[in-house]
Amino acid sequence: MSENEIKTYWREPAERDGDAVVNVQSSASAPPPFSRRQFLEAAGFTVSIAAIGGCGRAKPEVALPLVQQPEGLVPGRTQRYASTCGGCAAGCGLLVGVRDGRPLKMEGMPSHPLSNGGLCAIGQALPLGLYDSHRLSSPLQNGKASDWETVDKAVKEKLNQLPNDAAVFFVTSTVTSPTLQAAIDSFLEPFDNGRHVTFDAVSSSSILEAHQQTHGRRVLPRYRFDRAKVIVSFGADFLGTWISPVEFTAGWRSGRVPSAGHPEMSYHVQFEGRMSLTGSNADRRHRLAPNEYAGVLSLLAQDIAHRANQNPPSGTPPTTSISTDDLHNVAGRLWDARGKCLIVCDSQDVTVQMLVNYLNEVLGNYGETLDVENPSRQRQGNDADLANVIDALKAGKVSALFVAGTDLTHNLPAHETLVKSIREVPLVVSFAERVDDFASLAHFVCPDHHSLECWTDSEPVSGLISLSQPTLHPLGKTRSVLESLNRWSGGNETAYDLVKSYWRERILPRAKTQQPFQQFWDRAVHDGFAEVETEAIVPTEFQADDVTYPSTPTAEDGFTLSLYSKAGLTDSRHAHNPWLQELPDPITKVTWDNYVCVSETTANELGLANADLVRVTAASGESIELPSFVQPGQHDQVIAIALGYGVRGTDRFAQIGPQWLEARPTVVQGELVGKNAARFLDFRDGALQLTQSNVKLEKITGRTQLASTQRHHTLEVPRNVAPHGAEVRDIVQETTLPAFAEHPEAGKPEVHHHGDKQLWAEDHHKTGHHWGMAVDLNCCTGCSACLIACQSENNVPVVGRDEVRRQREMHWIRVDRYYSGDDDDINVAHQPMMCHHCDNAPCETVCPVLATIHGEEGLNQQAYNRCVGTRYCANNCPYKVRRFNWFTYEHDDDLQNLALNPDVTVRTRGVMEKCSMCVQRIEDGKLEAQRMGKPVEDGTIQTACQQSCPAQAIIFGDMNDPNSRIHQALENPRRYGVLEEFNFRPSVSYLRVVRNRDDETEEHGSGESEHHA
Amino acid sequence: MAQAKVNIMHDATTTLRPPLVMGDKSISDVTRDICAPMDRKPTGLWWGAFVISLSALILGVVAVWYQIATGIGTWGLNKTVGWAFDITNFVFWVGIGHAGTLISAVLFLFRQKWRTAVNRSAEAMTLFAVMCAGIFPLIHMGRPWLAFWMVPYPNTRGPLWVNFKSPLLWDVFAISTYLLISAVFWYVGLLPDLATIRDRSEPGWRKRITAILCLGWNGSARTWHRYETVYMLLAGLATPLVFSVHTIVSMDFATAVIPGWHTTIFPPYFVAGAIFSGLAMVLTLMIVARKVMNLEDYITLTHIDRMCKLMLSMGCIVGLAYGTEFFMAFYSGNGYEQFVFKNRALGPFSWAYWTMVTCNVVIPQVLWFRKVRASLPTVFVVVIFVNIGMWFERFVIIVTSLHRDFLPSSWADYAPTLVEIATFIGSFGLFFTCFLIFCRIAPVIAIAEIKGAAHLRRPRAAALPDERDRAA
Repeated sequence: MSENEIKTYWREPAERDGDAVVNVQSSASAPPPFSRRQFLEAAGFTVSIAAIGGCGRAKPEVALPLVQQPEGLVPGRTQRYASTCGGCAAGCGLLVGVRDGRPLKMEGMPSHPLSNGGLCAIGQALPLGLYDSHRLSSPLQNGKASDWETVDKAVKEKLNQLPNDAAVFFVTSTVTSPTLQAAIDSFLEPFDNGRHVTFDAVSSSSILEAHQQTHGRRVLPRYRFDRAKVIVSFGADFLGTWISPVEFTAGWRSGRVPSAGHPEMSYHVQFEGRMSLTGSNADRRHRLAPNEYAGVLSLLAQDIAHRANQNPPSGTPPTTSISTDDLHNVAGRLWDARGKCLIVCDSQDVTVQMLVNYLNEVLGNYGETLDVENPSRQRQGNDADLANVIDALKAGKVSALFVAGTDLTHNLPAHETLVKSIREVPLVVSFAERVDDFASLAHFVCPDHHSLECWTDSEPVSGLISLSQPTLHPLGKTRSVLESLNRWSGGNETAYDLVKSYWRERILPRAKTQQPFQQFWDRAVHDGFAEVETEAIVPTEFQADDVTYPSTPTAEDGFTLSLYSKAGLTDSRHAHNPWLQELPDPITKVTWDNYVCVSETTANELGLANADLVRVTAASGESIELPSFVQPGQHDQVIAIALGYGVRGTDRFAQIGPQWLEARPTVVQGELVGKNAARFLDFRDGALQLTQSNVKLEKITGRTQLASTQRHHTLEVPRNVAPHGAEVRDIVQETTLPAFAEHPEAGKPEVHHHGDKQLWAEDHHKTGHHWGMAVDLNCCTGCSACLIACQSENNVPVVGRDEVRRQREMHWIRVDRYYSGDDDDINVAHQPMMCHHCDNAPCETVCPVLATIHGEEGLNQQAYNRCVGTRYCANNCPYKVRRFNWFTYEHDDDLQNLALNPDVTVRTRGVMEKCSMCVQRIEDGKLEAQRMGKPVEDGTIQTACQQSCPAQAIIFGDMNDPNSRIHQALENPRRYGVLEEFNFRPSVSYLRVVRNRDDETEEHGSGESEHHA
Repeated sequence: MAQAKVNIMHDATTTLRPPLVMGDKSISDVTRDICAPMDRKPTGLWWGAFVISLSALILGVVAVWYQIATGIGTWGLNKTVGWAFDITNFVFWVGIGHAGTLISAVLFLFRQKWRTAVNRSAEAMTLFAVMCAGIFPLIHMGRPWLAFWMVPYPNTRGPLWVNFKSPLLWDVFAISTYLLISAVFWYVGLLPDLATIRDRSEPGWRKRITAILCLGWNGSARTWHRYETVYMLLAGLATPLVFSVHTIVSMDFATAVIPGWHTTIFPPYFVAGAIFSGLAMVLTLMIVARKVMNLEDYITLTHIDRMCKLMLSMGCIVGLAYGTEFFMAFYSGNGYEQFVFKNRALGPFSWAYWTMVTCNVVIPQVLWFRKVRASLPTVFVVVIFVNIGMWFERFVIIVTSLHRDFLPSSWADYAPTLVEIATFIGSFGLFFTCFLIFCRIAPVIAIAEIKGAAHLRRPRAAALPDERDRAA
């Protein structure tokens, strides 16, 4: 067939034969309007133009692999760096878990001599503070964003203009960093009247003052609770907020583990007016108004002096309401444990603190349970200095004011006059990380790095110096205070250089062994701390002569107001952290608010119910309107308000949590989270007093609803519905030390033992691992660090005030708190409650879609993507530990989302969730063991709650491993299971509370017969 | 003949049971009377009721839409009380759905001819009530769009299957079976009447539709024979469902470990309660319908009297169950169990408990008196109380058991939100909208059956009680 030949096709014979011929190769005279070729040309053109158009320059994204892979860095695996917690001045050791360049999970540094691997809620919450989009990202000049060059130039200019005798005040919270201290000193050097003033929002200055008087040195002793057999505390909340709670909890805990072979425990008495976390853990708690501490201490001093054949303090002891029998008992115990006891007091009255020193001295505790030769530096606030600053400010004599680490105006009384006088200072510089109350007055705000972003060091107690290292590149254009001061002094060094050179010059010489600097430094960076020689302190003789009995407080008709800081929030520093705002107070279980704690008697007298609004008016005329909270165990004459609330900028939380038809804002329009009670701080006797007498309390109209996570507070069921013989539930079992010594299983309720007969054949044999947990209730203080640890590890959302009020908080672990006894001798039990991973789990059988199933290793697993949300499992959970995603909780803050743990799914609306026993950590540990070719070692897998527990109350491990700690815990005679009699076979056990009390009456739990009245 | 048996208790004037249809009707009268509402245009009353019902339905639809779009958080539930209005409403509606089958199937098998006057509407009521009930388990899910996961269907998810241990799954089977059987039973029963409508209708759309729907009914003896066989078989199939559905619903609670739920008495207790509430709802509707639709001659006081007696007996069983629960709690020696029941009676929700006892046990006792049973307004008031009481019974079981369970730390409160209340109102809207439409498009009384059961055009003597009724 030749090429020219036209091939003809026909559709039908007629066509073939007729005229109509279909030409395949177009040879028609009039071509179709759009030929195939033209179409292809046009289409090709269009496509290529579109393609070229799409090839415009995108924003270049650099995703280069590291040229030199850092040693041991595996993408997706957590790197842990030793550091120091910057949450407060306590200086706990930190192990920062960094994943792909972002710090995610804070853990306690296990080898740290102070914190022993514990970390409090604040430390756990650091990542959320780091990834806070409200932190300043550049310096401010007169309230406007600026850059460092401009600010440095302007500050230096202003500084140069100052005359040499200008009064320059540098106010900081306690500075434990020797490098920073040196930098401040050298910065102030050119100014003859330059003063560094330390101001602690919750001050302990009178302790230092008292030691000045009795020991000749202004020091804060290092308290060694681990060595104390008898602990007497006057208001000092050393397990909650006082000075160094993690360190003290670890120490206190060491005396709280009685065993069958060694049934001994420390004895802890607490005298206090308000109900503190520490008081809740005491063996015996006496209600005592703060102004009566002096009386009790005086009588104790008299008693002990008599026993010791020493001269009692001069003067006449004031009277007290505590019975002499009780006092005699305490004195006897102290005397028996002389050299091994400890008396602490949070009073800001120097004479009272001197009396405490006298007692500790006569009892021979100095050098044993109190260390003044290696003193603590965790609280250095000097209220007398502060008073000078305020006077100078009021007199208009201050030329420059620098404030770092504290919000000066927020944390001080007489706000208006203070603000007015600060406005007149020519140079005001703040180093705050956000525009706080003081920073809003400052000419320059030079935001400091977050503690996870910078190099610094800390010497919380003499001889222990720890390092902080940055764990990520600073998120904003912030700058370390060290660097700022260095710039203004004319230097140009980085914080790293500054710290390192300081260490080379000043710390290395104190090293215990001689070694090259680099080796010393590397070791310190690796460990996070270095133990060095203390700076030589010559102990002075105890000056007993100056100790006098304080005068009897004058009779007063009003209330005594006691200001305190809430565990997990302390002062205003962490008020912008929603995890901590939603952390239930360990005692009141209230979130997102401060309130006036009143005793039940007071409430009855004033006709107050919980959350009724009250007005508190001080003698000075200052007043505050807050909701009331009826607190069991509170002294009738004492009312208490938490500091650290009403912080500027916390109205940002107005919209936190789900927004829907009936949702109420977390913060009412125009208000803040809580109210600032610092107005009631009182400069008296040279110290900033946290208590104030002659305070009026009145009920005003209106009430709010406090967002509390717990509504019923005893294990006793309401009397009108209590069944005979089951008035008290044995959820928390407890016994006394004498009973325990006699019979280690004392406190076990007498119930019918149904045996281990199972109706059905075991369908999960758990021949490999069988994970289990035990919580030693005798160690657990209820501090709630585990809550935040879990929240951080497991991406638990924050739900806001209204949702908590509706009882829909999402915490996977909660700490139940129950009261028993009466106000005068109250017992409190704290019980962490999380998923019990029951072997006969009631939740598993009822799920229609098998979204919650039993794992081969005993874990009760929740498959989020299978869950349809019937909530049947939660209804059927006897421990009520399941949490439902009622809404889509906020995850739209990109910066904040950096704090999310990539190992744990972020749950969507409509699914159930609960404690997984940190299954991601278990799998990680198993993989690691597999990689090393070893069996999983006991202790290598730690749940988040267990890891951070300052009291080491949580034990986790493989119950099938006979050598594991959990296995031993299960054989502990104190072991019991909650609701065990129902045969849920929980994998979580508790170790019974043992109270060091003489009285044989067993408290609730086993004491069924006592409650029949 | 069954009716011809001597009933000494009934009436001194006659040894025969009173006729089931009054007013000396002929067969064509019956057809005309019952079809009358369909023939005429809707009355103002109907329109009024319809607008109210539809508004309620729309309110419910909006509430459900909002809740699905926003989250279950728009309900007043919390970490402790995971079910409240949702499952209360579910059980309430399922319970109401029981009387239909009871009247249709069980009474049919027992040859209770008086059922013919009420069975059609009772069946329709069942259907609509089960529809209302079915909505709640659907919307109470956190992710209702995944509801199909509750059905065991072949899927690509490997071994992932439903959990046959879960009573919620049994619910799915029980409710869907019940809905299916009820619908079929209702439809089959409707066949001869559809044919009647077809025959009565002028040529037009109604005739054409009914011609299709009546499946070619021709009224022959063979058709009748087959129809009655099928009806009998369906009645036999439906009868166990009367007992199984609520038994299974009760197992949602009985198989749980929560004190107050974990009770073996629940299956019979729930069945009795369901029949009780179902009868109350049938009576509520009948008392209104007979008046509004001029059906006094068909739904007579005799019917109401018998239903009242049945209701009274069920009420007594329910009351006995309440007492038994308390006894069992006392006798168990289990403190948690004892607490729950004390807490029910004296705790924060005691008002709900005593509302329940008053409405379900105390008030129905007046039905012992014939005079009360003969007074329609009084019966109406009583049945309304029973309706309320039975709703509270479920509320009490669900909420009071949950709100204070084992650990006092988790004890919580519950209060419904506007969304929940709107959803509840919406379910009534759906029910009444459906019922009102049903009244317009289908005969509310089974024409064919009542013709068979009633002795039409009987001698005057039999009509005597009729006069007495009218006097009352």
